[in-house]
Amino acid sequence: MADWVKVGSAGEVGDGEVSSYSFGDRQISVANVEGDLHAFDDVCTHQQCSLAEGDLDGAIIECPCHGSRFDVITGEAVTGPATEPVDVFEVREQDGELQVLMDA
Amino acid sequence: MPDFVIVGGGLAGATAAATLRDRGFDGRVVLIGEEPMPPYERPPLSKEYLRGESDHRFVRPEGWYEENRIETRFGVRAERLDVSERVVELAGGERLRFDQALIATGSRNRRFPWPGLDLPGVHDLRFAPDADAIREAATAGRKAVLVGMGFIGAEVAASLRMLGLDVTVVEFTSTPLERVLGPELGRAIEALHRDHGVEMIFRDAAERFEGDGRFEALITREGRRIEGDFAVVGVGVEPVTEVAGDGVPIDNGIPVDATLRTAVEGVWAVGDVARHDHPVFGPIRVEHFDNALKMGEVAAGNMLGEGAVFDDAHWFWSDQYDAQIQMSGFATDWDDMVVRGSIEERSFSAFLLKEGQLLSAFSMNRKFDVRRAMPLIAARAHPDRELLADPGFDLRRLHPPKG
Repeated sequence: MADWVKVGSAGEVGDGEVSSYSFGDRQISVANVEGDLHAFDDVCTHQQCSLAEGDLDGAIIECPCHGSRFDVITGEAVTGPATEPVDVFEVREQDGELQVLMDA
Repeated sequence: MPDFVIVGGGLAGATAAATLRDRGFDGRVVLIGEEPMPPYERPPLSKEYLRGESDHRFVRPEGWYEENRIETRFGVRAERLDVSERVVELAGGERLRFDQALIATGSRNRRFPWPGLDLPGVHDLRFAPDADAIREAATAGRKAVLVGMGFIGAEVAASLRMLGLDVTVVEFTSTPLERVLGPELGRAIEALHRDHGVEMIFRDAAERFEGDGRFEALITREGRRIEGDFAVVGVGVEPVTEVAGDGVPIDNGIPVDATLRTAVEGVWAVGDVARHDHPVFGPIRVEHFDNALKMGEVAAGNMLGEGAVFDDAHWFWSDQYDAQIQMSGFATDWDDMVVRGSIEERSFSAFLLKEGQLLSAFSMNRKFDVRRAMPLIAARAHPDRELLADPGFDLRRLHPPKG
């Protein structure tokens, strides 16, 4: 069962920015790509670094540890060393909240 | 469909194989590796793997090759490329015909003719079994003698100290990593290791290894006798070029043009073995992980006709204790160094310039500067010194426009 959960406030992730949020034992990042929000698992599938600490360039985020690049829209590992994708989630701004659709 | 053969089962070769399939190539791909294990990442062998904190990281999962119809010959040495017959000859007699071949044979550790080098207890580190042997010897309270303090020596020193061993290093130059970093940054690495209790002896070198049936002491050129329970030698690598036979020219590795092609049509080389005609740095052979990965990707694309120039600005990392070290670009001599942050507090970046052109960036515990410097290095930029020195200035603002 998936539910919309509040992770932050609407409008707090500006264009070209990425922010990271804890929810339960997961770390979720939200990136703003040209006005559209995209949520993805913050943990790099290579060696578990925080992707939100890397640089976002368009829809591509680069892991600050070893340079793996992920597409924040699809979760795909675009260049290695990571080969496995990160999970992506639906995200929306509603009632002044930033919400991510998560499995309960 | 053409047949592609990849000689070398490391990161570069495996990445090339994966990229060929990613780009939709449907023909025969054979991946030959001398090591019996599927391709794995080597950087952890001196760090978390050596410390027993992680298992192997395979470049692709073990079952991936079969699922993707990559034929593998692991544990088999490729003897020779016959470029006139367009055949790779393998140990054991198998002959693989190819339309295009990729040489990704990597490098091997340099071995000097030191007496006693073959004594049990004298290790070097390149392959997974080497790391296993050091790990087995590395119990807390024992004493390790290291020869050489380049990146391997520095990382092994850090890992062994973290495991609670006494560590003494003998290094020929006057600081760690002096040839790569110069003396000033080398001293920053030295201070890091000194604070973590590594005993370092500079301007001295190995003369011979002594012991009655196994290693007991290193005798140095200056006449020191350094006793220990085991030794680890890390004095650089040399490219593995034998497979080139007499058909592919060799000159400090296998020379390739900007697109990673050798002098022979349809034969390419990548990774540690490739001496690449880099558009910015000139002819250069690079022995780092990220270079092997990216060259593998680009060469695979070019085997499919993409014609891409490889112009990556090169980047690598090294983790020592809690210090995260990164470096990008390439500089053999520079006339200016701009420091951002504090070397003393071990949170800094250093930019190496020559006649105002940014050649290289180095950082300790500053995550972004080195990677953000890469587009500037590739563009031969002459950035303002004050902006480089300003910790609050985002180097992306100086990036050339895309497209």
